[in-house]
Amino acid sequence: MGIGAELLATGAPILAAGGSGDGSPAGILLAGPIAAIAVYGLLFRYYRNTDKSHSFETETRIQAAPITGGEQKVNEIRGTQQTQIQGNNVSNHRQRVQRAP
Amino acid sequence: MSTPPPPSQPQDQPEVVNTQNADLGDGVNRCPRCGSTDIQLRASTGMLICLFCRHEWSEQQAEGQLFDDGNLTELRGTTIGSGAADIAADVNAVVTLKCQGCGAEVVVNTAAAMSSRCHWCRHVLTINNQIANGAVPDAVLPFALSHEEAVARITEFASKRKTFANRQFLKEFTPQNVVGVYMPYMIVDGNVSSDVYGHGEVETRRYTRGTDENRRTYYDADVYQLHRHVDFTVDDLTIESSAERAMMDTSVNTNNIINTILPFDTKNAVRWNANYLNGFSSEKRDQDVEQLQPALEHQLLSIARSQVAPSVSRYGRGVRWEAEKVDVHGTRWVSMYLPVWLYSYFQKEKNMVHYIAVNGRTGETMGSIPVAQGRLLAVSAAVGVVAEVLAIIILVVS
Repeated sequence: MGIGAELLATGAPILAAGGSGDGSPAGILLAGPIAAIAVYGLLFRYYRNTDKSHSFETETRIQAAPITGGEQKVNEIRGTQQTQIQGNNVSNHRQRVQRAP
Repeated sequence: MSTPPPPSQPQDQPEVVNTQNADLGDGVNRCPRCGSTDIQLRASTGMLICLFCRHEWSEQQAEGQLFDDGNLTELRGTTIGSGAADIAADVNAVVTLKCQGCGAEVVVNTAAAMSSRCHWCRHVLTINNQIANGAVPDAVLPFALSHEEAVARITEFASKRKTFANRQFLKEFTPQNVVGVYMPYMIVDGNVSSDVYGHGEVETRRYTRGTDENRRTYYDADVYQLHRHVDFTVDDLTIESSAERAMMDTSVNTNNIINTILPFDTKNAVRWNANYLNGFSSEKRDQDVEQLQPALEHQLLSIARSQVAPSVSRYGRGVRWEAEKVDVHGTRWVSMYLPVWLYSYFQKEKNMVHYIAVNGRTGETMGSIPVAQGRLLAVSAAVGVVAEVLAIIILVVS
């Protein structure tokens, strides 16, 4: 793992804590480390382009038939503080999940 | 990039279509007008040019010539061009040709070049017969971008990234050293069905509880079980057919840079003629169709997930896909050399080769510039200190 990736990984929990919006004095003191890690990460990526790859999902000629399928309500959640579904991967097309038989 | 899935069940034997260019053979291949063998690509026109009489010509376009390019939705089974056939382990990359001009023996190392000049009579000898070592593909896409244009694009790319670039890199930066390389790829058409299964959530209520610093936001949501099915065809999906190039781990190499300059206008590829490679270097294919199935399935599954995404947009809290499958009804494989202008810099302290690559057709440029860690850390720390001071001032004032 490169130094940039390591720093970004280290910074993720800090960013999460700082971005919780709880407004506590301790939260605002994280502004310095967050800013430093963000600047390092952005510049590192701009130079090294470690996050870049061919966008074959959009840059290939694809002809798709209309999407079919179904949905069924199976549960209701009340009073969660999570802002999104756990394990949300709707935009992460390259994250492989279990292969269905 | 995530790890490709394991290969699916073995398929029936593929149908192999002969794509050998019957007009050419190994050894001396002459200009059709004057008989000279000094032939090379003229990038500005995409034509072959005889350096003796200036006659220009081109090989036939591959599209529609190698296969019966019918409706992709009717594609069944596996069809491969003979240039994409399996590599025999016992076939050597080094080929010895007998010069038809003088009878001398001339050696061509097909791992890096597809022609050689006879050291006695100066004829250029080329490899055109498909041999089972992966060196002669079904088709080639000639360079359309000149060396000067590639140098200009690399210079522009690097000049935007000077401030935090490694000082040694800047000192040794010589864009004129960019090399034209034909890289090996498999071009795949496919007829595919895919299913994905998971759960999605729709927010039904949002409210806050508590006061002042203990104020918290809460959500209510309905949970749905989801299934989506999509039938689709892909046309000219491009997959690296060199194991080394396909290994994209940004902590140890910069192969992702070469991958990023895809796609190419592969519809304009022409039938094989080794003279297109004269003056350029080439890398030999070392992967067979079967070995590339996991990479293909990974890309097809990613495309399927991308295709179904708009159909689940109403699930505002997101979707967790939990299972997926792909049924490949038919594929068609063509091996092809694609043109890349490549600037390489070896960073000794990291033991890493940094590439700046230019698409030899479209000019798309991407690169990895080694960074000056000291400068980068100093500036990041300075920004952090300023932000921290501001934070403390805000805290004290409030």
